[in-house]
Amino acid sequence: MTATISMSKEKLTAPKRKVSLRRILATAWSWAPVYPVAVVFLIAVIGPWIVPLSPIDVAGPTNQSPGGAFHFGTDSTGLDVFSRTIAAARNDILIATLTSAIATTAGILLGLLIGMNESRRGLLGWVARFLVRVLDLLQAVPAVVIALALVAVVGTSVISLTVAMAIILTPNQARMVRTEVLKVRTDAYIDAARMAGERGFALTLRHVLPNASWPALENASLVFGAAILITATLGFLGVGLHPPTPEWGSMISTGASDAAVGRWWSFVFPAIALVIAVASFAMAGQRLFKRRAG
Amino acid sequence: MTAVAVPLGGFAVVEWLKKQRWWLTRVLALPVHLFFFSVGVFFLVRMIPGDPVAVLTGGQNVSAEKIQQIRESLGLSGGLLSQFGNYLRDIVSLDFGDSMMNGLSVWGELSQRLPETVELAVIAMVISSALTLVMGLTAVLKPKSLLARILVPYARTAGAVPDFVLGVLAIFVFYTTFHLLPAPSGLADPTMTAAPRVTGFPLLDALFAGDTALFGSICAHLILPVAVLVIANTPLLLKIFLRALEESIDAPPTAFRIASGASRKTVLLSVARRAAPSAVAMLGTLFGFMLGGVVVVEQLFAMPGMGLYGVNAVNTSDRPALQGFLILVAAISLLVFLLVDLINMVLDPRRRPGLAKEGS
Repeated sequence: MTATISMSKEKLTAPKRKVSLRRILATAWSWAPVYPVAVVFLIAVIGPWIVPLSPIDVAGPTNQSPGGAFHFGTDSTGLDVFSRTIAAARNDILIATLTSAIATTAGILLGLLIGMNESRRGLLGWVARFLVRVLDLLQAVPAVVIALALVAVVGTSVISLTVAMAIILTPNQARMVRTEVLKVRTDAYIDAARMAGERGFALTLRHVLPNASWPALENASLVFGAAILITATLGFLGVGLHPPTPEWGSMISTGASDAAVGRWWSFVFPAIALVIAVASFAMAGQRLFKRRAG
Repeated sequence: MTAVAVPLGGFAVVEWLKKQRWWLTRVLALPVHLFFFSVGVFFLVRMIPGDPVAVLTGGQNVSAEKIQQIRESLGLSGGLLSQFGNYLRDIVSLDFGDSMMNGLSVWGELSQRLPETVELAVIAMVISSALTLVMGLTAVLKPKSLLARILVPYARTAGAVPDFVLGVLAIFVFYTTFHLLPAPSGLADPTMTAAPRVTGFPLLDALFAGDTALFGSICAHLILPVAVLVIANTPLLLKIFLRALEESIDAPPTAFRIASGASRKTVLLSVARRAAPSAVAMLGTLFGFMLGGVVVVEQLFAMPGMGLYGVNAVNTSDRPALQGFLILVAAISLLVFLLVDLINMVLDPRRRPGLAKEGS
């Protein structure tokens, strides 16, 4: 009890916060959920330069167990699992980063367009209502199935996979922004801005956009995870990035047949990497958007 | 007399239609949505790179007549508009053409494979929703119990461990290491002969044939795929269900029941009743997850279902097969969502269109 009183006095008399080791440590600790993401990103950037062996060339004898020169062993074609797991981070993270940037931006714009025009008469209103239906339709069919259809057309390079992922993951972002736009539209400050003479496009950009885009931004870390997972799923199904390009999904796919005969390593390590990448982004997202009140 | 009865009769029909509008519009929207999806698929399939005719002729020089014949069989002859007309007519009559890879009828193969996929998805779905119901209620009713303390973080991890990782892990542990379950190679023991086809569902067919050995083998082969689907998708479901229950508990009607001295049972029934629409809506989402998961699981366990067919179609750029696969999956998904919508509108009349406007 006395502690809280003295603290509040301290706040009243001395608004400047003391810099203490304890405070720095507390702040550092409170940001701890974000650190794994930093590590994952670091590995994605420098990974291909720090790998001990080539990730795409046969490095040694096949089916070596972990240890010695091959930290994580070698797979059934003699590729080094450690080097590939590290190098794969770049491909998977690149696709996921680009996808969450594109899907979030496109989702916010689409959500604004739909939300602001949906109840209108005229062409824009029709376009908006048509788009709602298209988004619903895209979301009704399983993401993996849409992904399969898209890669058949756009092919399987990093860029085309990004395009496919963006098409799959934009609808959800757009729908969340749209819901928020519909709420925000009826708020008092929008009426105030209208009365102050602001209209149409400027009103949307200046008042609706900043207030209605947070659901998509908050969801961006989950989009990131989903993009990695779908990319890896395609790789696993054999329709994603083609081997020997290092990619966790296709590595797990080759590892699966190894694991079925007892050689667990070529499956376990890329799987762990995949789970860490997805989980670290979900964790960081939760920390970054933690409500002040909660 | 008749002069009065006819307009009155017409009037009654209009009134009836107005009253039934909430479900009629939804049912009528299904073919419209499917139509738009088919339009998308039509253009998507035509955008697939490469020349399908060259694939079918194997790069050999063939007569112009033969090429024309191939184009016709692929639905690629004539202008885009007439192609589109033929395409729609074929879809309505369930004629998706022949596969480019093995020449078999696409619809024939899909309808052969559909029951197996549906069986897998439905079994996993039933188990998953039953588990969610039990776990969700436990977590909410006894928030301090050990189970609740485990379940809530479990729901939070939703989706971090993908289904294919779980699948490989399961095979490694239960087949490779401990030899508890059969090899991941298809529907049943390959040495057994399949039961005569009655319903198409492997389990039911084995049951009808009275072949207990086959039935047991199919069950044993289903354990891991079903477990993978259930474990991968239940947390996602549990998260949604927990949120729905908490919202329902926090809503004013709960406070009113408690304040007016209702028994615990009545309060809980009221909470459950108000959470029911969200729980039903969740089933639609779950079916979508399962259908997506089945594609992966079938590949992993070499089960000859629809998902495997779709993946092979993509791998070989088999246009007619891909077309049929996409439209069938879309039709099933839309049908499930329609059912969920209708059940929800029966449970919660406020969701019916037309009524919302009067309320607000």
